[in-house]
Parts: sequence; C-alpha cells; structure tokens
Amino acid sequence: MTETVNVPAPLGAPPVGDALLDVRNLKTHFHVLDGIVPAVDGVSFSLGAGQTLGIVGESGSGKSVTALTIMRLLDIPPAEIVEGEVWFDGREILSMPIDKMRRIRGNDIAMIFQEPLTSLNPVFTIGDQIAEQVELHKKVKRREAWDRAIESLRLVGIPLPERRVKQYPHEMSGGMRQRVMIAMALSCEPKLLIADEPTTALDVTIQAQILELLKTIQDRTDSALLLITHDLGVVAEMVDNVIVMYAGQIVEQGTANEVLLNPKAPYTMGLLESIPTVEKRGGRLSVITGTVPNPFNLPPACRFEPRCPYAWDLCRQVAPELAPVRGSDQLARCHLHTPAGDSRLPAALERHTSAMRLGQGHSDQ
Amino acid sequence: MTTSGQADDPDDPDDPDAIQEVAGTVVPRIRGRLRTRLPGKVRTARGQLLVLTVYLLLTPIFLGFQAVTGGLAKMNLPTTDLLAATVGNVVLAAACYTASRLILARSRTGYILALAAAGLIAIASIYALTEVVTGTAGLTGNTAFFFTVYQGVYLMFAVAVLVNLLREVTWSRTLVREARKSTGEGLGVPLRDIRIHPGAARTEVAAPGSAEEAAAQAKRRHQEPLLAVRGLKKHFPIHGGLLRRQIGTVYAVDGVDFDVYPGEIFSLVGESGCGKTTLGRTVLQLTPPTAGKVVFDGFELADVDPDDMRPLRRRMQIIFQDPFGSLNPRMPVSDIIGEGLLAQGVTDRKTRDKRVEDSLEIVGLRRDYTRRYPHEFSGGQRQRIGIARALALGPDLVVCDEPVSALDVSIQSQVLNLLLDLRRDFNLTYLFISHNLSVVQYFSDRVGVMYLGKLVEEGAVEQLYRDPRHPYTVALLSAIPDPDPRRRKKRLVLKGDVPSPAAPPSGCRFHTRCWLYEKLGNPERCATEEPELRPLETGHRTACHFAEEVSDKAVSQVVATQSVLDTAVADPV
Repeated sequence: MTETVNVPAPLGAPPVGDALLDVRNLKTHFHVLDGIVPAVDGVSFSLGAGQTLGIVGESGSGKSVTALTIMRLLDIPPAEIVEGEVWFDGREILSMPIDKMRRIRGNDIAMIFQEPLTSLNPVFTIGDQIAEQVELHKKVKRREAWDRAIESLRLVGIPLPERRVKQYPHEMSGGMRQRVMIAMALSCEPKLLIADEPTTALDVTIQAQILELLKTIQDRTDSALLLITHDLGVVAEMVDNVIVMYAGQIVEQGTANEVLLNPKAPYTMGLLESIPTVEKRGGRLSVITGTVPNPFNLPPACRFEPRCPYAWDLCRQVAPELAPVRGSDQLARCHLHTPAGDSRLPAALERHTSAMRLGQGHSDQ
Repeated sequence: MTTSGQADDPDDPDDPDAIQEVAGTVVPRIRGRLRTRLPGKVRTARGQLLVLTVYLLLTPIFLGFQAVTGGLAKMNLPTTDLLAATVGNVVLAAACYTASRLILARSRTGYILALAAAGLIAIASIYALTEVVTGTAGLTGNTAFFFTVYQGVYLMFAVAVLVNLLREVTWSRTLVREARKSTGEGLGVPLRDIRIHPGAARTEVAAPGSAEEAAAQAKRRHQEPLLAVRGLKKHFPIHGGLLRRQIGTVYAVDGVDFDVYPGEIFSLVGESGCGKTTLGRTVLQLTPPTAGKVVFDGFELADVDPDDMRPLRRRMQIIFQDPFGSLNPRMPVSDIIGEGLLAQGVTDRKTRDKRVEDSLEIVGLRRDYTRRYPHEFSGGQRQRIGIARALALGPDLVVCDEPVSALDVSIQSQVLNLLLDLRRDFNLTYLFISHNLSVVQYFSDRVGVMYLGKLVEEGAVEQLYRDPRHPYTVALLSAIPDPDPRRRKKRLVLKGDVPSPAAPPSGCRFHTRCWLYEKLGNPERCATEEPELRPLETGHRTACHFAEEVSDKAVSQVVATQSVLDTAVADPV
C-alpha cells in the first residue's frame, strides 16, 4: 500500500478541550481516468474520548473514504489528500511520518471492516493474526501475545477461546468472524474504534448480537466509536451524535435523537421519509427523486438541489454553508435555515411531518 | 410486541363466508391437467428412433440415385431385394417416425408401434447378418465387411430402442390415462396488453394496509388461490469422497404449505440460508422439486413436460436480487427484455421491439433506452430493467427475490412504489422474498416466516407483527434496528447461528436457539416432536408447541436476564 508522502497544509493549533479526534476541513480527491472525484470535500468533525459518532450516507457519499483517510489506508495516487488536518490525541496524523503512523494504526486507532471474510487472512489462524499486532504494538513476547489474543476473544463472547485461536477464518460463521474482527480491533485497547458497516453483511439476528456486543464493549473499555453505516436504524440504537453525508459533504450534524426526530436538512428528511416503517404502512412512500449526482458533474451550488423538493433559485446560485440551525444544536447545510429561507421553512416542515405518518388513520394503530 | 388498539381484521367477521378454511390445509382444486415429462429412457429411445428413420431412408435414396444415373442395372440385384430395400425401408422409416411422434403425444399405440418397428428391424438385420456370415448372400471381401457394418448399425439402434422402451414398461401402462388428460386448456393465454393508458383511473394509494387495499384483500381471500404450495420439498445432494458419492443432503426447503391469492402480496422472510430463495425458484420450477405440489392457477406444476410448461412460464416471472449480476453485460436492453418474448414465440422483430419499449415505459424508463447496455445504467435503473423484463411477458405471478436489497434507501422506496403501482395497474400477484422485516411489513398483505427450510409462522401482516406467536418471529422482530429513537428498546438477542441445513436439529428446528425453550426448562417435546403449522385463535398459523406461552411478559423477563456475551454458541470445534 502506498502511503501519504506530501504534507498537505500548514498545521493549525492542536485542538483545545477533550477532543480525541479532530477532523478539520478534510478533502480527499481521487484522480481517475475521467477526471477528479471529490469523494470527501470539506468534512470537519470532532469526537471526544469515550464518545460515539455515526456517519450515515448512501453508497458513494464519501463516508468510508473519510474513515480510510483518517487511518491513512488510501492508495496515493489515485487518492490525494488535498487539504485538511486530522488531529488525534494531540497530534496531527496526516503529516506524520509513516513509521510513526504505523505505531498508531492498529494500536490507538483500530478499524472493523464490513466484510469479515475478506479482511481476515485465510492462511493464518485467528490467533496468529491477533497476536501479530499485539506483539508489534505492545512489544511483548509471543507467548504473552497469544494469551492476550485468547483474552480478547473471550471479551467478545467467543466460547472456548483457547481452541478458537487455533482455527482458521473459514472454519467460522459470518457472525463469529465479525466477532474475531472486533476482538482483533480491541486486542491493543485502542482509544478510537472505527467500524465501517460492521453488520451490513450479517443477518438480522446476528446483527443484533454484534451491535449489542459493540455497545457493551464500548461501555466497558471506554474507547471512542466512529460508526459508519447506511442504516438509520443502527444509528438510532448505537450512537450519541450523527453526521449525515451527501456527495462528499456533511449536510447535517447533531445528536442522533435530534437528527432522527427533527431532521433539518432536506436530504435527511427525504431519507427518513423513504424508509418503510410501521407508521407508513397503508400509505405511499415518499421518495427522493432522481439519483446521486455524477461526481464529475456536480450541481454548481447546493449538491442536493436537483433532487430537493424545496429548492428555489437561491439553491442554484449560492452553495449553502454548514451552519447552526436556530433554536437547536444541530448544524445543517441548507438555505431553508438561513433568513432567506424563512418564508419557506414552515411549509417544508409541514410536508415532512405528513410524509412521516402516511398510513395513520388507515392502519391498525 | 402487542400494541393495543382495535383489530382491523381483513376478514369481515360478520360475513359468514369469511370464515375461510386455513390456508394450506385445503387440497387445491385442479382445473386442468398438464402432460408429465417423458422418462429419460423414453426420451433417449425417441432420439434413437429418429436416427433409425434417417438411416433407413439412406438406402432408398442411394438406390433411387443409382436408378436415375443408370447404375442400378449394372448392380444386377434381385427384384425381391430391391423391393425390400426400398418399399420395406420407407415403410419402416415411416413407422419409426410415426412412433416417435405418437410417444410425444403420450399415445400407447406409439409405444407399441415403436417396439414392433424396432423388433422388425432387429430381426431383419440379424437375418441379413447370418446370411453374410454363412455365405448365403454370396458377398466377399470389402463388400461383405461394409454390409456387415451397415446391418450392424441397424441392429445396434434397434436393440437400444427395444431396451430403453422395455425398461419403461410401467410408464407405458400410465399412458392410457395420460392421453386422456386435456393438455391445452387455459394455456394459450395471449400476451397481455401492457401499454399505459393515459386515461386510466388511478387511485392515490395502492399500499397494503390502506383502507382500499384492506377491503380488496378481504375479497381476495374468497377466490381460488392463484398459487397453492403443498408439502414442497427441495433437497440438494452433497457429493464427496473419492467416488463423488452422495455423503449428505441439504434440506433447503423441507415441507412448506401456503396459498397466494390473486392480486395479493405474500412475503417470505427469513435469514440467509433458510431456503426462501430456493423456495421461490422451486415454485417457478426453475429447479425441480424433490417432493410436494405446486398448483398454479389450477395446474399442477411438478414434473410437467417442458412443452406444456412454456406457456405457463409466460404467466410466472421472476425479478432477481442483484441488478448487476442478473443482466447480461454483452446484451443491449432490447435483447435482455426481448429474449423472453422470443422464447414465447414473438418472432417478429418489430412487434417485439414495440413491446420492449412499452415495458420500459411502464417501469419509468425512456423508450429510447433499448440500444443501451447494462453498464450505462445505475443500480436503480438496472433493477427497473429487471422488472421490465419480467413484465414484458404480461405475467400474473411475479416472484420478487430480494428486489430492493442491493439498492440504496432512497432508490429502494422508488422501486417499492413502482412495484405497488404495477400491481394495481396490471393486477399482479407478488411472491415477495426478503430478509428485511421493515420492508415486508410495509409492502405485504400476508407474510410467512421461514427458518431452516420450514415455515414457522404465517398470517396477515397486521396480526403477525402485532401478535407474533413463534419465538423465532419474536426474536426476528426484536432485532430490527428502528430509526425512531423513541422506540428504542432492549433487544431479545438470539444465541448462536442458524444451524446447518444439512443437519437440521431434531424435533423443532429452532429449539437449539429458542429462548422460550430455555425459559420453559427445556421441555422434551421440543427436541423430539416436530411441531405442525397449526392455526391459532388469532387467525394466523404457527409451528410451535408452546405458542400460547409467548407473550410480552415472557419476552421482557427473558430480555431482562440475557447477557450479550453468552450469545455466541460453541458449535463443535
């Protein structure tokens, strides 16, 4: 894997306060044959120690690339970190020499990937794979590393860990493999755990097991959790704060309760409206028309404007900023919440409320 | 799980006819018969008869050619031989050909005729061969050799036909009965008009659960089911070892009963490996069932002759899960959609293209997309092409195999709405297969929950989601992550993984993971006796011995005591 060699921007000051992870105006672009894809285009957020943050978005919204940039796991080229800083635990990690970064990766920041089968090495036993990084990061003897591997398997609830460590990934079911991935991530007691779609490949009952497990472990170890998912249900159950991404930008940011109950950005509203739920049975689902914009040909101003039911002239001329919404702690990227949108806001909220409870009156409620 | 409030029962309790027999217990009415598939041996024999027909005609053609060119006189053959070689061969060829056609028409005469013709050819060739060997024929050298080979081929094929046919004597006895079966009735349904009529009245809502739909659903249940499945089984052999012998069986679908009424949406939910996709494919006879009945519109489908199946296939279509894998990347859209039409006999290019464009239009794509290739479309558009392909043939039943699972949330709702519109416009019936319980709750009239190849619970969506009575359904419903934080709850987490369908647990297949089984102190009955899918007083069916014990209280007791670290179960290491 190629590593970042260039230092993108002059460094700012380290974050004040207790922010464990502070991402500032991160821009990751991909140079491909047809041009430049701005996969992540100006993303900023911070995450305190022990906190949970969810990043939601559809495929192609840039949520996984954000995580990979933080981990510095992207191939450069084709990727390029155009701008931005990532401060982790008081240090800027994008400009850090790669050998120092290697000491952090897997040790202080650990990642759980979506596909447990492809992210485990099929020719090594589970124990080899966990012990390898413990040995490397914690500078302990092989014996001790194996003991720690067994311990971390026990932590994620795998029965008979002494025998399981000697098994190969193919000898386990999907849910078990995901538990192994979690055990591996936890083996070095990271301060930050990044979970990229940890349950997407799993069945509902196994997903429930893994989510409950992540919650329990996060409580117990007090590590911060950055959860990347497309499932708003998972967000509702797992995280305190949430970021909604669309076409490489953050469109809404706030606590999970606020964002899911009172979404401010039209994209979040549309997303919530289009999910089938009990309340919507008997009614027609409202849809977000059209598709995600072509990354080579993004709309000039607001990127959601072509699909937005509330858009007007201003949305085609001026790109909205991510700004605090009056009367709440949320941030939203939408002109509706600026003084210019005052006249249109009540109608938009009205429309959203009715779309959320379509089936009421017909259904058995 | 129980929400209070009035039950809006789709079956009107005041209507005396509304008390329907529970689906799956009634023997479905058979409206018409289809010919069964020919046994393999008979099919081989038919082929051999056709080879014999051609071979028999070679000699008359050769002799005729010689007669024209004047070579016949030089050969100096006796008249009796000439007559036998021309008239005899032509008569036998005619007999062979007629016999093969009659066998196809399931006539017993054909079977006897084939035996007689093959027998005669065998005797004649043996006679001719003895003449050569004993020297009576007066042939020597090369001529003798070629004549022997020539007669040997006759003998070989004739004997093969005799052996193949005689091994299916029992089958031939059924032919008299088979021949009487009406074969054509109701099959020649013309292609349905699928154009959009701009003036057609459209009601606003067509979603299951709306007032209009609830009334329509109540009416549907008084009709004959469009699809009735009884005791359907599909087992796959596992081959292994040096000789690739069968060393096990995967019980993918193992005895499933349900009915789907015309115009309704029946969903099958379950985790991966529970057999829901196999069930969908077996219903359509895409894989032949191991046992059981599938009755579609009064026709029993198991073991149907391919000739009779094709007109029925037009009426039963499938939409696949993966919009990337299910479209051939080398075919333009016109061929992808038109292929089915071609197979159904729409040979005229213009008519076919017109219909392809019509079907693109009804799924919301542009008519001029026909020359494009799949890679030029997004996931949602591809899924629409998959839907257009199914609809081009004007089907009655559409099996939707996870049609929205691979799509993003915002595209998913577009496709669901499209499917609902199409149901309303073309009176479609859907067998909807999904693992997403939220989608199923929104999208279906009735639902069947599958676990390890069996239906564990089946009923109207309103009842089943409000009052689930199978411990597995309860756990499944509890596991859905709900995007509404106000409904955040403590989950009931099941232990372990789904057992292998190659070695399903004894008794109730769910007992190894069942929370109720544990709570009741591991009753022996669960491990020894397989529960039947039985009707409950709530009106739906469930396969649990202790369904009456399932209640909100029981669930909350279990939830309060469970520990998430115990949920991984040790399978044999």
